[in-house]
Amino acid sequence: MSEQPIVSAKNIRKTYGKKDEKKYEALKGVNFEIQPGEFVGIMGASGSGKTTLLNILTTLDQPTEGQVEINGKNISELSGNAVADFRANEIGFIFQDFNLLENLTNRENIALPASLQNVSTAKIAPQIEQLAAQLSITDLLDKYPTEISGGQKQRVAAARALINQPAILFGDEPTGALDSASTTDLLELLTDINQQQNVPILMVTHDPLSASYCQRILFIQDGQIGQELQRNGQTHQQFYQEIIEKLGAFQSQEGK
Amino acid sequence: MLRKLAFTGIKSRIRDYLVLFTGLVISSAVFYMFEAIATNPEFLKSSTNGMSLVSFIFQTGSVLLTLISLVYIFYANSFLLSMRQHDYGMFLVLGARPKKIGSLILAETLVIGLISSVIGIVIGVGLTGTLGGYLMELVLQDKLAHFQSLYLPAVFITLVLYMVLFIIAGLLNRRKLIKTPVLALLKGEREPNRPRLKPISAAIQIILGLGLLASGYFAMAKLTKLREIGIFFALVVIVLGSYFLFNAVFVGAVILLKKTKWAGRGLNNFTLSQLSFRIRNYTKILATVSLLFALALGAITVGMGFGKKTEMFSQGASAYTMALRDPSAAVKKQVKALDLEQQASYTQKKVKNTLYFEKEEFDQNPLQDVPDNWFDRAAHGKVQKISFQKLNGSQLQKNPGALYSIAQENFDQEIKLVSTSKFNALQAPRQEFYLFRVKDIQKAQPQLEKIVRTLYPKKHQQMRTMIPGGYASYLQAKQMFGGFEFMGFFLGIAFLAMLASCLMFKILSGANSDRQRYEMLNKLGVRPRVLRQSISREIMTLYALPGVLGIAHVLFGLQMFKPLLITPYQGIWLPFTIFIILYLLYFWVTVKLYEHIVLPKVEINR
Repeated sequence: MSEQPIVSAKNIRKTYGKKDEKKYEALKGVNFEIQPGEFVGIMGASGSGKTTLLNILTTLDQPTEGQVEINGKNISELSGNAVADFRANEIGFIFQDFNLLENLTNRENIALPASLQNVSTAKIAPQIEQLAAQLSITDLLDKYPTEISGGQKQRVAAARALINQPAILFGDEPTGALDSASTTDLLELLTDINQQQNVPILMVTHDPLSASYCQRILFIQDGQIGQELQRNGQTHQQFYQEIIEKLGAFQSQEGK
Repeated sequence: MLRKLAFTGIKSRIRDYLVLFTGLVISSAVFYMFEAIATNPEFLKSSTNGMSLVSFIFQTGSVLLTLISLVYIFYANSFLLSMRQHDYGMFLVLGARPKKIGSLILAETLVIGLISSVIGIVIGVGLTGTLGGYLMELVLQDKLAHFQSLYLPAVFITLVLYMVLFIIAGLLNRRKLIKTPVLALLKGEREPNRPRLKPISAAIQIILGLGLLASGYFAMAKLTKLREIGIFFALVVIVLGSYFLFNAVFVGAVILLKKTKWAGRGLNNFTLSQLSFRIRNYTKILATVSLLFALALGAITVGMGFGKKTEMFSQGASAYTMALRDPSAAVKKQVKALDLEQQASYTQKKVKNTLYFEKEEFDQNPLQDVPDNWFDRAAHGKVQKISFQKLNGSQLQKNPGALYSIAQENFDQEIKLVSTSKFNALQAPRQEFYLFRVKDIQKAQPQLEKIVRTLYPKKHQQMRTMIPGGYASYLQAKQMFGGFEFMGFFLGIAFLAMLASCLMFKILSGANSDRQRYEMLNKLGVRPRVLRQSISREIMTLYALPGVLGIAHVLFGLQMFKPLLITPYQGIWLPFTIFIILYLLYFWVTVKLYEHIVLPKVEINR
């Protein structure tokens, strides 16, 4: 592909521990790119560095070494307000534990990123209605997050992530707290968003079913990208089988 | 095993416990400080000249402070429970018996209560000694009789009251813990309380609140007629009025603001939601804080008012600080060393019971005197600094009244001004009549005391209030009003400490559950400055509301002191300014502490 990649990570290293302390290297030089419109999954065992990588990609943490470009911007050069604005405008976030503000109604939660950019409530209202219709949460808009189910919460969170039309959507185990029916619902929803609105998605997960909805999967192992799987037009059931086999191979490898 | 687990639970949240503990310690320390005065009848009698109403004011004050402590302890307790309920819920899930958990929480509440009350009393005794001693030195340059920092009845009352309150609180905690379903304990208080605007009920509450406050204010203004009943009535209706007003106005204002366009901008909606989220919780504490605010500011204002009155009395009593007869060279040397504003020397002769002065001396050097209408005008707040009128020989010859007040040695002595020739013809020894005025009596007090000692080495204690002039009046005024002034400052500072701990504690105890929200906002890309702005706006509202109501309480409450202070409103800008600056300081500290707790660290490090 000749287009400029949405995400480009070059030689990212992250070392924890201060001077004179025992150091721990969480990321040991990670390189990858994500092209516009891709739906990419990152898989790995716990402690493999998934979360660290995601924190760096979303500007919540800084790499010790290396550089990340998102939508053409070198994010390690941003500072102060620019970081906050970058998060608000360029990326959307879906978390495992939803992270909705329980003191705001769902509608207010969705509107929040827009009102942070001083977009007026009146202007944003039709957009919220449209997103809500698309995500089937119209009836829930005036309820509080504590009054709806986990699956519904995650739809609200998705709406909030999309309201500012981000360049890329990040998911941190978005299905981790959902039952299987809600998981399938959400994954189909994400696929729709990805295909119809052409929003690239990068999702960290350890769940093979979730991963099987992606087009490409990066396996992270001991702080490095170990393997890569391409879906190449397989149905997600076929892809699911391939992922399971791959994981099995990993596990037996690690068991040796 | 459970005990050990419970203890590790405490250790892991040591900071929250410190906040809780500090709040309780300050509360019991302040309660003790108040009781050390209120329960000491000898001290009250001797420092307020036996006014019966004063001891009643203090009894009512005790009731009010007990109410405030009650709200405080119950609130602190629900904070304690909210910290522990997750742990205890977990123990229940693991199979602990509810009864066991119940007795554990009861024991924990009692232990925390006992330790904090004991430490509070020890600190209270220390503060009463140091602060009391310092203020007495500052205000009176003297010790007040019967003032005791360690006063056993006060220790007893504080300890008993606090233990009773904690036992009740502990039993309530136990009941609540046993009755609440395990799942609810584990989930914690996530339920939003949806504030709804009920216009009719709000209107009724506003009218009721205003009506109660108005009748309370009216009762305070008519205290001379209503006496004890008036004080008690005012206390009850003002407490209730404050509560209703906060409940209706606060809830209503937040809901109405949420509907405006302004709410849609930036974090405004979030800030309003933060306020409305725990609105019911806040109304009680805000009403309490407005009362504490009024008590603290009122006490300091009244204290300063009495200080002013002392000044007015000594200033208006005489144009001269002391009038001396034939002072020795040593005394004159001491006088010359003072910071003098005015001095005069006249000649007198005493024949039988008549005192003669030379008219020409007063023509050359007129006698200064307090203007006749000065007290009247000062009482109406028209003059701040006195300007003395000058009386020459002819004026004094016609009316020697001004000389009577300063030169007369006994009641039936006559005073006459005569011409130089007549004066010279009198067969009596010449005496010097020496007058001086210092710039500031209070500052000069130590030297003035020394002069009295040189004049009357043996009987100086008796004579200091007998020497004609302003100094004696100053000492008398100090004796009359100094006790009030002292108590005003002492209690004002104590209430201020309690106010601060109350409000700070309330706000900081909610900070932990807010942490997640601010972290979330940070992830959503809210600029750090906007986060800070939201925090300071939220806290500013919580500080401003009780402040405004508290000021209203004080402005109307000062009516109570009209019989004692004559002009209670004169110069109130000074205590108000000092107080508001202190209050703003508390606000600032609270904001900083809150930011420290809730703002995500990563952003700040950048």
